Amino acid sequence: MVLYQADEKAGVKMNVIINVENVRKTYKMGDNVVKAVDGVSLSVFEGEYLVIMGPSGSGKTTLMHLMGCLDKPDSGEIYLSGQRVSKLNDRDLAKVRNKMIGFVFQQFNLLPRLTALENVELPMIYAGVPRAVRRKRAKELLTMVGLAERMEHRPTQLSGGQMQRVAIARALANEPQIILADEPTGNLDSKSGEEILKIFSDLHSDGLTMIVVTHDPEVAENGERVIHMRDGKIVSQEVRASVGNA
Amino acid sequence: MLKEAFRSIAANKLRTALSMIGIIIGVAAVIAVVSVAEGTSQSIRQNLSAIGSNLILISPGFTRGGGGRVSTSLSDLLTKEDAQRIQQLCPSVLYVTPMQQGNFIVQYERQNTMSGVLAVYPQIFNMMNLKLQEGEYFTEEDENSRRKVAVIGREIADTLFPDGDAIGKTIKITSQSTRQNYRIIGVLEKSGTLLFLNPDRSILVPFSAAENRLFRRSYVSSIVAQAYSEQTAAQAVSEIDSILYSKFQDQDKYRIVSQEAMLQTINQTMALLSFMLGSIAGISLLVGGIGIMNIMLVTVAERTREIGVRKAVGANRRHILIQFLLESIILTFVAGIIGVGAGIFLSKGIALIGSIQTAVTPLVILIAVSVSIAVGVFFGVFPAMKASKLNPVEALRYE
Repeated sequence: MVLYQADEKAGVKMNVIINVENVRKTYKMGDNVVKAVDGVSLSVFEGEYLVIMGPSGSGKTTLMHLMGCLDKPDSGEIYLSGQRVSKLNDRDLAKVRNKMIGFVFQQFNLLPRLTALENVELPMIYAGVPRAVRRKRAKELLTMVGLAERMEHRPTQLSGGQMQRVAIARALANEPQIILADEPTGNLDSKSGEEILKIFSDLHSDGLTMIVVTHDPEVAENGERVIHMRDGKIVSQEVRASVGNA
Repeated sequence: MLKEAFRSIAANKLRTALSMIGIIIGVAAVIAVVSVAEGTSQSIRQNLSAIGSNLILISPGFTRGGGGRVSTSLSDLLTKEDAQRIQQLCPSVLYVTPMQQGNFIVQYERQNTMSGVLAVYPQIFNMMNLKLQEGEYFTEEDENSRRKVAVIGREIADTLFPDGDAIGKTIKITSQSTRQNYRIIGVLEKSGTLLFLNPDRSILVPFSAAENRLFRRSYVSSIVAQAYSEQTAAQAVSEIDSILYSKFQDQDKYRIVSQEAMLQTINQTMALLSFMLGSIAGISLLVGGIGIMNIMLVTVAERTREIGVRKAVGANRRHILIQFLLESIILTFVAGIIGVGAGIFLSKGIALIGSIQTAVTPLVILIAVSVSIAVGVFFGVFPAMKASKLNPVEALRYE
């Protein structure tokens, strides 16, 4: 078993925030059993910018879902900040997704009936943040991603880049430690995609752990460490910059 | 949360309206039906309480109609003397009167009509709370001296004396074997049907003045007694019972019914009736509930992706369950309120067209609205559970 983790450079202290140990996940697609994730072990460090690359069907999205507590592995263990995920019940998992992780999807996944502001407020509603506080924070976040003028717009009135920025603001609502992004630029033109990646780099500089799933080499260029997946397995990794910059 | 639920409901106005119709019709039907039953029951009770209270009716029993014989009333049992003994021996009884009842042809000059004639003691006016419109009651003295006087009901007066002015006139009462003249000394106020007689279509005469002349029998149709108070009514019934039992040695030969017992029977009957009719109307509530469940299942299926997104940003099962349950409860609650409005409207319409009394009580409204909410919970739980149990990944993948 090969453990994929960053080389610990001398004098740099790194805390593991996600630990994936020999995780497997299979899906049934009709009569076929698909081994989406097939014995993956991986450590993600606090403050790291990790890119998971691979062709479609390589299991990278499934791995992201597993790390994000959206799905449970068939076998193996995942630790989030030392917490064993398999021990958590529905309520605790929801809390982890709510407070610790922010998701950014290729399809944006904004709720169409809610305004941009209300979409950003949503995670804070589930966290029980008082109305006035969450409204103020949602406005700050939208201003931060450059949508101060679009707060009352509904998703259908926004461009793709704008929708993804609302989604990022929503992901940041409860001050998570980790951002999990699945093909965040996949549905965007290159200019909007660059803007999104710029925001990601800024967030990384602010100390957030970024995990981006993509098949696009240009997106991968921003990562400090790139992991390549194929057929549910990690096949290689490259470290592009010093990981865990203190 | 509440605001969001309203917004999702409002997003599909036509569908929402259609799915609510079942509940609206159900609630309206229940309200209307129960209001008719309640109104009828109220008007009966009003009639009953218009008569003097604490009355007890003693009547002959029935022979069993065995062996091909028809069951008939025993007419040769109760006598005037029984009434007098009850008066003397029952401390809980205030007034007693024997009663002879029959239908005769009554004639004044060229006018004639069929009328019930009641031969009774003058206490009857007090006992049954009969009010005079004009003239006077007959008295103890009239009774003692067998004076042939009569107090007549309003409708009889209107029939025989279209021009008014009945007092002092002499009417002829004709039976199969005799014809007697009675002088009218009083006309009663209109009262409507009271319990076991209709004073408006009756002629009341002193008992002594009619028992031998008109009825020509020694047995009476019935005996009416009045207890001192509501508290002593049951006591009075048992006192009367012991006197009659000692005479007849057979409980089947006479019947003693108190006003309370009659009231109770009527109330029970009406309650049963309104429950049955209400239940039938309630079936449409059930059907409406199934409609709500159907629409909620559609909603859940349509919003699978939304559920996935909500779970991804931190909603747990309870959040999702409550969200969808709230929507179905709001649906049925609003439908219930509209249904109550429609029901009240309907009940007023029935009262107007059918010229009967209807009554919508707060209790019925409360029950109708709570039942609607209960329907929302009951039929909303399954779709909401289904929504809450969705796997977030599969929900997010849903197109």
